Amino acid sequence: MMTIGPVHYLVLGAILFTLGAAGVVLRRNAVVVLMSVELMLNAVNLTFLAFSRFPLVQNAPMQGGILQGHVAVFFVIATAAAEAAVGLAIIIAVFRSRTSINVDEFDSLKF
Amino acid sequence: MTFNANDLLGVLPAIILSIGALLLLMSEVFLSTTRAAAQAPASPGERVAQTATAPEISSTQPDRRYQAWLAAGVAALGLWAALSQLGDPAISLFNGAAMSDGFGRVVAATVCGALLISCFVAFGYLEWLRATRGEFYALTLFSAAGMCLLAQATDLIVIFVSLEVMSLALYALCAYLRRGKRPAEAAFKYFILGSFASAIFLYGAALGFGATGSTRLADIAAGVRLAATGGGPGGSAGLLFASVALLTAGFAFKVAAVPFHMWVPDVYDGAPAPVTGFMAAGVKAAAFAVLVRILVSGFGDPSSSIGPHGWQQIIVWLAALTMFFGNLLAVPQRSVKRMLAYSSIAHAGYLLVAVAAMGNAPSRPDATQGLLFYLASYGATVIGAFGVVALIERKFALAGTGDDLSSWAGLSERHPALAAAMSLFMLSLAGVPPTAGFMAKLTVFRSAIEAGLAPLAIFGVLTSVAGLYYYLRVVVYVYMVPEGRADSVPGGRVLSASIALASCALIVLWMGIMPGSFSAMIQSASGSFGR
Repeated sequence: MMTIGPVHYLVLGAILFTLGAAGVVLRRNAVVVLMSVELMLNAVNLTFLAFSRFPLVQNAPMQGGILQGHVAVFFVIATAAAEAAVGLAIIIAVFRSRTSINVDEFDSLKF
Repeated sequence: MTFNANDLLGVLPAIILSIGALLLLMSEVFLSTTRAAAQAPASPGERVAQTATAPEISSTQPDRRYQAWLAAGVAALGLWAALSQLGDPAISLFNGAAMSDGFGRVVAATVCGALLISCFVAFGYLEWLRATRGEFYALTLFSAAGMCLLAQATDLIVIFVSLEVMSLALYALCAYLRRGKRPAEAAFKYFILGSFASAIFLYGAALGFGATGSTRLADIAAGVRLAATGGGPGGSAGLLFASVALLTAGFAFKVAAVPFHMWVPDVYDGAPAPVTGFMAAGVKAAAFAVLVRILVSGFGDPSSSIGPHGWQQIIVWLAALTMFFGNLLAVPQRSVKRMLAYSSIAHAGYLLVAVAAMGNAPSRPDATQGLLFYLASYGATVIGAFGVVALIERKFALAGTGDDLSSWAGLSERHPALAAAMSLFMLSLAGVPPTAGFMAKLTVFRSAIEAGLAPLAIFGVLTSVAGLYYYLRVVVYVYMVPEGRADSVPGGRVLSASIALASCALIVLWMGIMPGSFSAMIQSASGSFGR
């Protein structure tokens, strides 16, 4: 029986972050690209929480880990929501002007 | 955890700007009620007809001109607040989450000044396009508030939140003329790459938090010192390495350093010109301020391998690449707006030279001073240049095409003052002597030589000589190429734009001819940086 330790969370966070970054670069649908960015932010949340639940630093300030990490996650969640709102609004504006959200077709600004 | 009124006083510019933005948004509520009252006397049948056609009729829009003046007033107030605190000693705010020091105050003053002039530029532009809507000035004020906070933040979470306050408002501003193809597309590209960069920054913050158990830059500095002596928790040195690399990469996106610059030309080209000017001046100032804070206050410990000697090498290479490719790619551009975008990349390279010079502790005060001087002079110049572009571009903004060098031909015959101003800004960007750009480059390169980075300084000088070509080409078109098309330059004089351009030109000349008075102001402030 294997116990789940900090390393597992950190590796999962790193994998999710990489998947999100790959999604931003490779996916062609604007909404999926937005989702990939959100995935990256959630990977960061997982990393923050893993580090605050299992602190590397000896004599952590409190029993349940370091509070600062938990607080950080709340801020990231709130900001991600605001980011999604603005992002979706921009995607709608793009869709209205060209009836497509395929990233490959966003080329009116090329030289 | 307690804080008192002094903490709030320390972030006064940001508070003033936020309150101003909220006031602007609130005033919208009262606007619509006064309009309804004005329509009330109409007979019922007419009222139905009016409401049915209301969306199409632009003349029923309420008069929103007061918003520009209110926004400019708030910006002036913020500028005053930042300047009045300039000489005060540095204090730590909110239990070390932010810092009110001379460095932050000068950046805040630069941002507020940029905002003030941008309000005048935007006023003429938006009125001409009949595109003044309630949110424009509120968004600019919010983003300026984020920039001011960013310059003062000393906690990675505060940095992230202020970064997003600044960026989210700017994404929306880029898409402001959203009916066109180009602004919406520019906003999308900015949004995706900007939030990608934020996520990278945040991952770096998480790793730094893991290694040191805190998001405060002061605690991270302590962790870096501990890791240098091998006393930190196992694996913390590696985590800190990854952390500083990711944090730098995140901000390299924001300041448009070269491997991360792909978004800049498209965004600068597609966004409305007044927004582009504000973005170029404000985002650069705020992002460089926070990059310096992270690298110097967070990772500046000289004894550790992650410290200056680690990141200095990265910054040196970033600076060299950015100066080289920024100038090289600007050469073939036909659109002045795109050319200015690539020139903004090149200027990020010169600013990175100052950051690299900060790696050596003895040259740090001079480099800080050079950076601040450069940020202020670049801000004044670029807002002026984009102010002229805004006047030229108004006509194209509706048609949905970009500007071209040929539309600048013969500008000097129709608008001699405009032509002279544009030439002054181009000379300042190129770094020709009687202008601010020359003094700025001089101080930055001098500090680089002091820091033992002479090859980098020489390379910088060479690239800026190459840059002369494309800046002077604009001047040639303005003065020497005869006017091709009869309608190449829209006529009409705009008072607000004239005020903005005149003040930019005066600042550029003042900083170029009498840099002493300005750098004395900065010097009194920058000595207090870095605790």
